[in-house]
Amino acid sequence: MKNRVAVIGAGMTRFVRRAKETGPELAAMAVDMALKDAGLTIDDIDAVCLGTAPDAFDGVHMKGEYLLTGAGAKKKPYMRHYVGGGTGVLSPIHGWMHVASGKFRTCLVVTEEKMSSAFPHPAGAFLTIFDHTTEQPLELTLIHIFGIEMSRFMHVYGYTEEELALVSVLAKKNALDHPAAQLGAKLTVQDVMNSPLLSWPVKRLDISPTSDAACAIVLANESVARAHSKAPVFIEGVGYRLDTAYWNTRDLAFPNYVAMAAKDAYEMAGITKPDEQIDVWEPYDPFDYKALHHMNALMLDKSGRKTRELLLSGNFERDGSHPMIPSGGALGVGNPIAATGLMKIAELYFQLSGQAGKRQVKKVPYRGVAQAWGDLMQVGTVVVMASEGGMPRTTRWSQMTAKDLPGTALESVEQVENIKYTPDLRYRWDNGFALTTYLNGFKHGKIRGSKCHHCGRIMIPARSFCELCNLQSVQDYCDLPDTGTVQTFTLSHINWDSSPLPKGKVKIIAVIAIDGATPEMGLCHILGEVDPKDVKWGMRVKAVWKPEKERTGTVTDILYFKPIKGKTPDPQVTWIKPVELDSETAQAFPGKIPMSYIYTAGLGGIRFYTDLAKGKLSGTHCPQCNRVFVPSAAFCEDCMCLLDPDKDARPLDPRSGKVASFTVVHEDRSGHPLETPMVLVQVEFPGATGSVFGRLETKDPGAVCVGLPVELQKSGKNAGPEGVTFKVRGK
Amino acid sequence: MSVVVMGVGYCGAFPTSGGLSYRELIRRAATMAYQDAGIRPEEIDAAISVEEDFCSGYSIADEYTPDQLGMVLKPMYTVPGDFLHGICSGAMQLRTGQFKTVVVESYSKASNVLTKDELVHFAYDPVFNRYGASPHYLAGIEMRSFLDRHCLNEEQVAALAAENRTRALGNPLAPFGARLDARDVLRSRPIASPVTELMIARPADAAIVAVLGIGEEAEQRSRFPIRLAGTGWCSGTSIIERRDHALSEGTSLAARMALEEARIGIEQADVVYVSDVYPHRQLMHQEALGLPKAILPHVNPDGGAQGTGELFEATSGPRFFDAVRQLREEAGAHQVPDAEIAVVQGWRGVPTDSCAVVVLSN
Repeated sequence: MKNRVAVIGAGMTRFVRRAKETGPELAAMAVDMALKDAGLTIDDIDAVCLGTAPDAFDGVHMKGEYLLTGAGAKKKPYMRHYVGGGTGVLSPIHGWMHVASGKFRTCLVVTEEKMSSAFPHPAGAFLTIFDHTTEQPLELTLIHIFGIEMSRFMHVYGYTEEELALVSVLAKKNALDHPAAQLGAKLTVQDVMNSPLLSWPVKRLDISPTSDAACAIVLANESVARAHSKAPVFIEGVGYRLDTAYWNTRDLAFPNYVAMAAKDAYEMAGITKPDEQIDVWEPYDPFDYKALHHMNALMLDKSGRKTRELLLSGNFERDGSHPMIPSGGALGVGNPIAATGLMKIAELYFQLSGQAGKRQVKKVPYRGVAQAWGDLMQVGTVVVMASEGGMPRTTRWSQMTAKDLPGTALESVEQVENIKYTPDLRYRWDNGFALTTYLNGFKHGKIRGSKCHHCGRIMIPARSFCELCNLQSVQDYCDLPDTGTVQTFTLSHINWDSSPLPKGKVKIIAVIAIDGATPEMGLCHILGEVDPKDVKWGMRVKAVWKPEKERTGTVTDILYFKPIKGKTPDPQVTWIKPVELDSETAQAFPGKIPMSYIYTAGLGGIRFYTDLAKGKLSGTHCPQCNRVFVPSAAFCEDCMCLLDPDKDARPLDPRSGKVASFTVVHEDRSGHPLETPMVLVQVEFPGATGSVFGRLETKDPGAVCVGLPVELQKSGKNAGPEGVTFKVRGK
Repeated sequence: MSVVVMGVGYCGAFPTSGGLSYRELIRRAATMAYQDAGIRPEEIDAAISVEEDFCSGYSIADEYTPDQLGMVLKPMYTVPGDFLHGICSGAMQLRTGQFKTVVVESYSKASNVLTKDELVHFAYDPVFNRYGASPHYLAGIEMRSFLDRHCLNEEQVAALAAENRTRALGNPLAPFGARLDARDVLRSRPIASPVTELMIARPADAAIVAVLGIGEEAEQRSRFPIRLAGTGWCSGTSIIERRDHALSEGTSLAARMALEEARIGIEQADVVYVSDVYPHRQLMHQEALGLPKAILPHVNPDGGAQGTGELFEATSGPRFFDAVRQLREEAGAHQVPDAEIAVVQGWRGVPTDSCAVVVLSN
C-alpha cells in the first residue's frame, strides 16, 4: 500500500433517542473529543470528510452542507459521502483515500445522525427508499423488508427466533459497559420473544433503536501517526460493494455484496483465513439476525456453519474465541445510522490499542474487522484494522463513563425551544421507455417483462437495457402469466410509518417469483385471501386484479395475490410490441415526501430565541479566539473549541444594529408571488462577529440601504426564523 | 503517474425529458462515455455517483445508482457535492493504487421536481434561516454585498447574464440560448433584489459521465486522453451569518489547491469555466480565481449555466464536458483556438460556498 493510514484519535457523543443539540453541535462535540484524543488541533487537520445517511432524518436538504461547520470543515477541503446504512464504515474508507492517495497527511472523519427531528417517527423516512414508481404505492417500510429477509434467512439456515434473540441479549449486555450506550440492558431470550411483534418474525427487541449522535476519528499517515500516538491502529484493508437496486433479484439469505467487500479488504490486508486471523469482529447489527447474516459473509462461509457453531457455543462473548460486537453494537449502543458504523471503527481502535476498558476482549487482539450494511439489502462496507497488539492499558478512553461524554437527552422536543416544519416536496417522475410499457401492462391486466439476449434473463420490471451485460439494449418485451411462487414473506402488524395496524389486521408482504420470468426475478406485493398462519415458502399464488375500469397503470392495479393449487404447466410468455412513446403515452408518476419535522433549536438556538422572547440579544464569547459570535453558538467554527451559550454569553444591544446587506423578496418559499414584498436584512452589531438575519418591518422598501440603523424586536415564544424581525431605529 | 480523463459522455440538456426515465438518461451518457474511453463497464474498477436524495425524490438515492452505469456489485459510493467533487474523489481513489479506472456520474431531472424553490428552501438551516421567502434571497444578499464591495453595478451583472445566454446560441447542447441584452435582464421580474428572474439559471435535465484512469494502459485505451493536472475543493463557512458574502472563499482556496498541484497560474489557462448560476457569482468566482471581474472571452465560452441550465449536482458537468472537447479541439463553433489548459470551477449553489476546481490539460 502506497501510504499507510492510521487512526490516532476518536470521539463521540452519547447515543440518545432525542438530543437537545442540533446536528452541527453534536458533530462539533465529537470532533472536539477526537482532536483532544489525538493530541491535535483543527489547524493540524488537512481535510475533512463526513458521512451521514438520508437527509430525510435530520430534515435538511443537502445535509452535509448544514453539518460542515460543526464538522470542523470551514475553509478546508470537505466532502460528504454516503451509501445509506453502510455509510459509517464507508467513512473511514473515504478518509483513508484522502491520506493513502498522498493528497493529505491528516483527515478528520466525522459521522452524524439526528433521527429524532423526523415526525411522527423516523421510520416514515423509509417509505421513500423503495422505487417511487414500482414499489412505493405498496406502502412498505424498512421493517417490512427486514422481515422478508429475516424470514428467508431463518428458512435457509434453520435458525429459530430464540437462537437469533441470543444476539440481542449479547449486544445489550455488552453495551452496559459502553459509555455512550442508549439501550444497554440485561435481557433474556424470553424478554426478546415477549416483545411486541412488528412484522413477523421481527419483534421490537430484535431491532436497534433510532438515535441521535455523532462520532469522529482522526486519520493520519504513518509518519504523523507515529509522532502523535503511542499505539496507532492502522487501516490494513478496505472493501465496499454496491449491488443492484432490483433487490427482488437477490437471494436475501446470503449477502454476497458483503462477502465481496470482505474479500477485497482481506486481500489488501493479506488475510487468507479470516476466521483464524481476525481477533475482534464488529459486524453491523441493526437487527439481531443481521449480525449473523453478516458474519456468514465476513467469514466467507455461505454454509453458515461456523457462525452458528460460534453462536451456540458462546464463543461470540468477549472471552470467547471470536468476540463479536464487544461494543454492544447498534442493538445496545444505538443506531444513529452513520455514527453507528464509525462507532464500530472506534471500537476496533479502542480494542486494538488496549483502551476498551471493561469491554476489552480477553485475548489480546491484533486485527479486527468492522462492517456496515445499507440501502435495499444492497451495500457492504468493510474495514480491516491492525495494531501491534491491544494490551490493556489505562487511558482516558478506558475509564470513560457516560457522564464524561457530551450530548443531552430530552424526553420530549417540547421541553425546549423548537421549530416545526413540513416541506412541500412533490414530484412527477418520467416513466421513460421501459416503464411505460411495464405500467401499461398493469392497466391491461398483464405483468410485463423484457428479455436480454446476452444473458437470457427475462426481467421484471421491464427494462430497456441490461444492467449486467454492459448496458446492452433490450428490445424484446413480453406479457407473463400473473401466477408465481412465494419466495419469502413477512407478516406485518404495522403501517409504513410504524403506526400499528387495526387490531387483528395483518398485512402479508411477499416476494413472488413470477412464472415465465427468470427464476430469481421476484415481484414484491401483498398476499390476500389467506390466513397468515397458512402462508408458506414455495406457496403458489395468482394475481387478483382491480376491475378494468379502475386500473390506472400502477402496481396496485393488482389488489393482491391469492393462493392457488398446482404449478402452471409451461408458463405462457407472449412477445409484444412495446408502447410507442409520444406526447400522450409519455407519462410521469406522481409522488411526494410525506415527512414533517420538529427541530430542537439546539444550545445556540435555545439561547438566541429565549433572549429574543425577552427582547434581548447576546453573543457567545470564544475564549481562545477572543471574539463574540452572533447568533449564540455552542462551538467556535474557527478553533472548534466548545462554548457554552449561557456561561459564555455576552450581552449585546439589540437596538444597535446596522444593515450590512439586504434584499427585497417578491416570492415565497414555493415560488408564488408575495402580496407584499418581504425585506430581509443582514444586520451587524458592534462588538460581535457575525450578523443576524431577519425580516425588516417597513412600509418603504425603497428607503432601505446599507448602513441603515435598525433594532431587533422582541418575539413570541418558539418564534423560529420567521419570528426574527427588525424595525428601523427611531421609528 | 497521471490521472487522465479517458472518456466523457453527456445527454442533455433539456428543459424536460419526458421520453427518458432517469435510468435511461444516465445510461445514454454512460454508454457515450464508455465508447469514448474505449472501455466496457465490466472492465471498470469502481464508480462514484454525485447526487442528493431530495433531488431524485428518494431516500436513499445511492441505491439507485449502479444499474444504469453497468456497475452492479462494483465498489461504488455517492458523493453529495458538485460533479467536480466526484472527479476529485475519483482522482484520490485512483492515486491510492488500489484502482485503475473509476467512472463518475451525475444527473439532473429537475423537470420531475414540481416544487424546486421549496427544495432549495429546505436546504437552509432550520433553526435560523428559513424565512418562508424565496430561497434566492441569499443570492440577493450576496449580489448586493459583492457590488458594494467592488464598486460594480447591476447593469454589469445583467450584461454578463445576457452575454452568456447569447454565447449559448453557439452551443447546440444549450437549450437556453437567447438574444438578450442587459436591459432585458434588468427589466425581468424581480425575485430577490437585485436578483431578477433572468439572472437565475433555469433548471434543466441532463446526465454527465466521465471515465477516469491512471497509468499507461488508461492513456493507450482512450481515444484522446486528457490529463487531470490538478484538483482542489474547499468550503467557506456554512453559517451564513458569519460569511463574507462579497467573496467566495471556497473558490479561492479550492483554486489554490488545484493550481498548485498543476503548477500553473490562472493566467496560463486558455479556457476557464466558472459557475454562473447567478451571474454575480461568475464575477465572484472570477475574482476568487484571480481573474478580472468582467466579461472575458475565454470564460464560459459554452454559455455557462445560463445557457445549459442549472442541473443540481451536475451543474458543472457540461462545463467539464466542454472543457474536454475544447482540449481535443472538438468544441465546434465556440472552440477557443489552441486550447491546451482548461480550468473548471463548480459551486454547489445557495446556501453554500462549497466549490471545487479541476485543471485539465492535453
